[in-house]
Amino acid sequence: MLFNSLSFIVFLVIVLALYYSKLFNWTGKKRMLLFASYVFYGLWNPPLVILLWISTGVDWITGKKLSTEENQKKRKLWLLLSMCVNLGFLGFFKYGNFLLENFTHLMNSIGVEYQAQPMDIILPMGISFYTFQTMSYTIDMYLKRTERAKTFLDFALYVTFFPQLVAGPIVRAGDLISQFYEEKRATINQFIWGTFLLTIGLFQKVVLADTLLSDTSDEVFGAKGVLSGLDAWTGTLAFSGQIFFDFAGYSTCAIGIALMLGIILPDNFRYPYAAIGFSDLWRRWHISLSTWLRDYLYIPLGGNKHGILRMYVALMVTMLLGGLWHGAAWTFVIWGALHGIYLVIERLLRNKIHIKINAINGIFLALLTYTLVNFTWVFFRAREFSTAKNIITSMLFMNSDGEKLLQTFDILKVFVLITLLFICHWVMRNTSMEEVSKKTSPWLLGIAWAVMFFLIAIAQGSGEQFIYFQF
Amino acid sequence: MNLKQPLFIAITLSIICLLSWEIYWRSQGKIPDLDDDKNLWAVQRAKVDNATENDAVLLGSSRVLFDFQLDEWQAETGVRPIQLASAGASPLPIFHDIVNNTNYKGTILVGVTPGLFFSTTYPEASPWKRAQSRVDYFKDRTYAQRLNHWLSLPLQKNFVLVSTSEEGWSDDIDLKSLLNNISISNRTGKPQYPPFNSFAYIEEDRNNPMSKKTATDTVFANSIKTVWKFLIMGNQNPPEREATTNFFLADAKKFMERGGNLILVRCPSSGWIKGGEDKFLSREEFWEPLVNASKAKAYYFEDYNQFKNLICPEDSHLSAKDARFFTTELVRIMKADGALSNSKTN
Repeated sequence: MLFNSLSFIVFLVIVLALYYSKLFNWTGKKRMLLFASYVFYGLWNPPLVILLWISTGVDWITGKKLSTEENQKKRKLWLLLSMCVNLGFLGFFKYGNFLLENFTHLMNSIGVEYQAQPMDIILPMGISFYTFQTMSYTIDMYLKRTERAKTFLDFALYVTFFPQLVAGPIVRAGDLISQFYEEKRATINQFIWGTFLLTIGLFQKVVLADTLLSDTSDEVFGAKGVLSGLDAWTGTLAFSGQIFFDFAGYSTCAIGIALMLGIILPDNFRYPYAAIGFSDLWRRWHISLSTWLRDYLYIPLGGNKHGILRMYVALMVTMLLGGLWHGAAWTFVIWGALHGIYLVIERLLRNKIHIKINAINGIFLALLTYTLVNFTWVFFRAREFSTAKNIITSMLFMNSDGEKLLQTFDILKVFVLITLLFICHWVMRNTSMEEVSKKTSPWLLGIAWAVMFFLIAIAQGSGEQFIYFQF
Repeated sequence: MNLKQPLFIAITLSIICLLSWEIYWRSQGKIPDLDDDKNLWAVQRAKVDNATENDAVLLGSSRVLFDFQLDEWQAETGVRPIQLASAGASPLPIFHDIVNNTNYKGTILVGVTPGLFFSTTYPEASPWKRAQSRVDYFKDRTYAQRLNHWLSLPLQKNFVLVSTSEEGWSDDIDLKSLLNNISISNRTGKPQYPPFNSFAYIEEDRNNPMSKKTATDTVFANSIKTVWKFLIMGNQNPPEREATTNFFLADAKKFMERGGNLILVRCPSSGWIKGGEDKFLSREEFWEPLVNASKAKAYYFEDYNQFKNLICPEDSHLSAKDARFFTTELVRIMKADGALSNSKTN
């Protein structure tokens, strides 16, 4: 079920009505939320709920064993079991065809005749998100960083909680399970603020991403020929905006919906396009994934505790796997590699050049960071390397006779919107929406809210999927 | 921070804005209508799975959609046909789906619009892809998508402001379409697609009469003719007569062998379009070999005096009034031939 659909509106109204009715006690409400979460997921593909159940069951049992087992060898075996099941599902469903394809290429390249038909596998929606979430629980249990969930119901709800089930934020057990222990009710202000966040999230997705930016990006990245520099830049900027509004929109909706239930989810984006440098970017973009990768991959690989070389290797491996997490294609690996290289270069430069950031050089560095990020988005969006190559060379103005694909209005629309996006991120980089809203007059807030709602209503979003559902 | 006041302001202003929007578009002549999208089509396609030998399925391009009126068909036969024709699309992928993925052995009427029927078997070509994408959607649609469609129907039937289309008509009023109509200059230097406005109203069971405006407003009808000229003159792909005929014949043979009743119909066209069809997709070279090889019952509109003088307002489809006449008369002819049985019980 998509947040930007009629069925979700009806679903949410029913869930809220039951949640705030006096029909259930707190355990009953949690059961209702769990059931609703399975319905939310199952309305897309009912049989794939079984994967959620298996993942939940395995990690619940593993967590239970890890909480009592003292034998280190046995603890390791339990952790291994959980990792095998979770990563096994992820590997099969998400990377099965990718591995098969690469194996075939490898065989053919060493002269072995081998052909394999791609397997007909459905990618379960949000599998990367809930897999990482359940794995964090088991790993934290193994490392004794978190308490075991008190009841199976609390744990199952933690794995399946519908607002963040399919596209995050990826929440740690310690941050969410403990919220289920005591009855939660949103205050009136929390409820209204949650509704406001839901409106903003839908506005970002339906109006900004789908209505204003997606067509331009699709047109440019779907082009067969070589484009002019202006067209390539417009398409890439459009995608940079589209993916931000799409994903941040989902996260904002998720946080808002959870808040309407009195549950607090962590921020997932903090105005990333105003980041100064790439370490800053990853503190602002998809925060729940970048902190997951830091805690469960980068630090176990050695982090910055074992010398500079090891740190750079850990950084590159983390970013390469982070790229692969997004999709089973080499273009995603290149995307991750570019981010890894950017981070390594930034750390090298930071040791040699010391700049005191002020408003002028800050905005210049933020713009530079954003420009470099756009080159990475080309690999993220392009389905083929040839497309990425064409776009990159055009962005470097190496194709002087490239085709003019876009109309003037489309170019203006993208540049105006992206400029506003960048300014907005720059202005907001050290504050939060909540802080700003406190200083805004109720009239202005109400008018802005109404404008967003009106534009969502007339945009008539056709229920297009969120980009991150495929990851 | 007290958020009740902004919420109250937002709700009040939203209601005022949406009401104003609704009233404005109604004052511009818009009326609530359904979108002939993949969901509407899929609901009809699902009916084929449980259809019996007494049922009838209509396949083809937009001519079958416009020219066969379901009320008239039902009045003559007692059976309401399942309308699966798809505008701008080849009927071949849909016929292939029904023959190969169902056990249906009732009547299938296939409309032969030469420019689309004989266009291609290439999966990425528009006439094929448009039809195949509907077949794929029918197979893959989720329960959530079914529910969304079901919930959207009462809204579509009652509010103009939710009016939008999968086709992307020039007179759509969703935000994206309104923005797409803004043009500053033609930077690409390529010919611009002429305005293509919706010219029919579709009902829930996909009964699709032409709008009155198209039948009576010559200027409006001419704007549709301009689109046909743009599309036809811009099409550089020659017809694939052999490939399309052979593809269809294989499915036709299979369908008739299991007892299915196959009927081919060439619906009326007129003016510039008719001239082009006669010249480049002639009856002798395209229609006759198909009919002879398929051994299906076949009806060519020009063979019947009552249809010879029918004029299509925009050269390709009948007005609602003429479509009602055409349906009634053709069904009577088919019944007289034994091509259709009369299951009507009085």
